[in-house]
Amino acid sequence: MTAAPAPVDTGRWFEDFAVGERFTSAARPVTADDLAAFTRLSGDDHPLHVGPDAMLQGPFGIAVAMGLLQSLGLHGEAVQGLLDTHWTYRAPIRVGDVVHLELTVARVRRTRSGTRGAVTRHMRLVGDDGVTRQEGTTTALVAARASGPDDDGRAFGTVGWGRAVAAALDPEVTTLLETWDGTVGLRCDDEEVHLRVYRGAVIDVSRRAPHGATFTLVADALTWLELVEAPENPFLRLAMTGRLSATGDGYEYLRLTRALHLVVDAARAIA
Amino acid sequence: MTGYVTVDGTLAFVEDHGDPAAPPVLCLHTAGQSGVQWRHVTPGLVAAGYRVIVPDLPGHGRSEPAPDGPVDDLGAYAAWLLALADATGLDRFAVAGCSIGGKIALDLAVRASDRLTAVVAMAADAWTGGRPSPRGLRRELVDVAAPSRSDRTELGTLAVLGRATEPERARLIAAMHRREDPVVSNSDLIGWASHDLREQLAAITCPLHLVVGADDLWLDADRVRWAASRIPGARCTVLDGVGHYPMEEMPGFPAVLDGWLRELTAGTEAA
Repeated sequence: MTAAPAPVDTGRWFEDFAVGERFTSAARPVTADDLAAFTRLSGDDHPLHVGPDAMLQGPFGIAVAMGLLQSLGLHGEAVQGLLDTHWTYRAPIRVGDVVHLELTVARVRRTRSGTRGAVTRHMRLVGDDGVTRQEGTTTALVAARASGPDDDGRAFGTVGWGRAVAAALDPEVTTLLETWDGTVGLRCDDEEVHLRVYRGAVIDVSRRAPHGATFTLVADALTWLELVEAPENPFLRLAMTGRLSATGDGYEYLRLTRALHLVVDAARAIA
Repeated sequence: MTGYVTVDGTLAFVEDHGDPAAPPVLCLHTAGQSGVQWRHVTPGLVAAGYRVIVPDLPGHGRSEPAPDGPVDDLGAYAAWLLALADATGLDRFAVAGCSIGGKIALDLAVRASDRLTAVVAMAADAWTGGRPSPRGLRRELVDVAAPSRSDRTELGTLAVLGRATEPERARLIAAMHRREDPVVSNSDLIGWASHDLREQLAAITCPLHLVVGADDLWLDADRVRWAASRIPGARCTVLDGVGHYPMEEMPGFPAVLDGWLRELTAGTEAA
């Protein structure tokens, strides 16, 4: 008699990830052994990494974050590889720290082939004192179960999302833009969509309007997520605190303040 | 008596309520606004036994403009208020102010501690660090350079109100704040961003209480605490759920202010 083969743990498929999902790992203490092992591996024995007050080498945080990510059990055999890591060091990690990982799914985008997709995770390594030590994003390539289509209610900055936003705009926007002739760009990280506006109507939504955008509202994926998830529309709060910015014609950007508030309302409605 | 008073050669509108012999408290409004911000507070304060004096600063509300044009020096407002006190026969009095009114209250404490029974300075620190940029504010003094000013004031007000403010109340506050002359408001804000009282705090001898809302995007509670730490005997309170306009946001504000004034004057003279 032979035992049945253990089922393969595929973890999640591409379709199982949704923008805005959040996960928190268990805590992990940082030990003197960690420091010694990482110094041996990296060869970086700069005085900063030696002695009782030593800081762990920066990439140690990335390594630990990836390990804590694995402990969440999200990823099995459907993961085909890691595409990128964008990382910022906020505060030193020292022996004796206890850190955990806070993960937010920031972006999911199917590849052209349709058989797989890129899943961008915002990862924050936080100490038990609540202070963020390191944070950034990593993107994994994940096999898809089927070939789509995908919901674009949170595909910020894409043409599909831009069309959905335009369709969800409050009719008041017609009055607000009655005398306006221009193009509003909406950007999330490196994706941008243009809403061509003429006399109160959005007459075209495209990757790039022929004359370009009059101005573009720019935010990263986490900020777009906050824009659509906050209990009240936080457009002006985030603009006033510098989380949102604009490129292009600043005068027209300010002039359209109320219209942009409604654009964010529409994005909230479809998210 | 409520009405117009000549101060420095111009007519100022001043509300004056309660028993003329009761302990007086002077209530100061925020940038670009008027004494109307205190309309829900006055009756409660009168009932608590105060004489309540609410001036419209020059160029605001029903007061005539300052003779030399919009004021961009908060010290000039402080001097004007001392002239108003003289004109209305106020010898010693308490002051409560918010935002530029809070900083003007601090300035009054610096220049006339001997005349003040108590100071409650809300939503103000000793120095903003030069923010917002006076240069940008000066550009916007040209009316046409400040597009959608009213919308930005309304939505910006909503963004700095505290979480505890009822939505209906928040909408009313924001709608009322649209009533401003942008040139006067911007001049006020230039004064706000350039008035530096840091080196003079130690000279304050009157009882003083600094108050800041935890949800106030425009103030850093640590800067307010720092200012309190430099003023002999000063108290500091951070209000949970409150933003930049405590006297407009908090339904029970008259009792709260009465409590602060009683604490400040306890043991010094009758409150």
